[in-house]
Amino acid sequence: MMSRNFTPEQDLINKLPFGDSTALEELSRRYGYSLYSYCLAKLNSHEDAKRIVRNIFISLWENRDRLPVDFSLSVHLYTEVRKAVVQCINSKLKTSVNIPAIEKQIIPGFSIGALQQARLPVNTQKSLYPFSASKKRNYEDQWWNRFIPAISMKGLKHGLKSMLNFW
Amino acid sequence: MTTEVLKAKTGRYLRGESVPAETRQIQTWLSCIIDNKEVLPQKEKEKIENEIVAEIQAYIEYTQIDPKPRYWWQKITAFF
Repeated sequence: MMSRNFTPEQDLINKLPFGDSTALEELSRRYGYSLYSYCLAKLNSHEDAKRIVRNIFISLWENRDRLPVDFSLSVHLYTEVRKAVVQCINSKLKTSVNIPAIEKQIIPGFSIGALQQARLPVNTQKSLYPFSASKKRNYEDQWWNRFIPAISMKGLKHGLKSMLNFW
Repeated sequence: MTTEVLKAKTGRYLRGESVPAETRQIQTWLSCIIDNKEVLPQKEKEKIENEIVAEIQAYIEYTQIDPKPRYWWQKITAFF
């Protein structure tokens, strides 16, 4: 999601203790949707996902005076969102809200087969090759394309140095 | 797994009393991300983002109208 400005994250965090609400707004624009989509994938509930994201940023605002010196926003958001997801499931189970939905949508995710997904590497092929699978195969079949990404200034310098040393 | 077992497991996890196997199971589940999920169009994403930001803004504006008392040490900490 596009954020509205390019202010470094640390500058925005430094502005929080001074009560700068625009800094919080910018941070929530940068990370809000990612957190929302994560919560939605885990809980299958738009309302819960929105509430969790809102509460995370509100608690950040409430505790802006007590942020540690080595505060890392990404680590904070990562730990908070995970904790909030587990808390949400636990509170739903305690209050017996949407039990059939939990049985159907959340509990299968705890099976051994489903948890094996976490061991698989993240698929980054899409970002490396911005075209379809057949075109990708053709791209790899052309031998010169295999060497093009390997050429860099560092590689050229190293190659020239080794040639000079050889001579 | 039944809902009762999940309730007990998540409760123990939140209290920090779960055994390592339970902790690993819950943390692995939290790390599992479905790769083939639907990608929302940009307009939908913006709409959701704006809704979240509007809720946060509403809360901040409310607290500015009716602020909580800030202690002297909080003001000094913020200054440094």
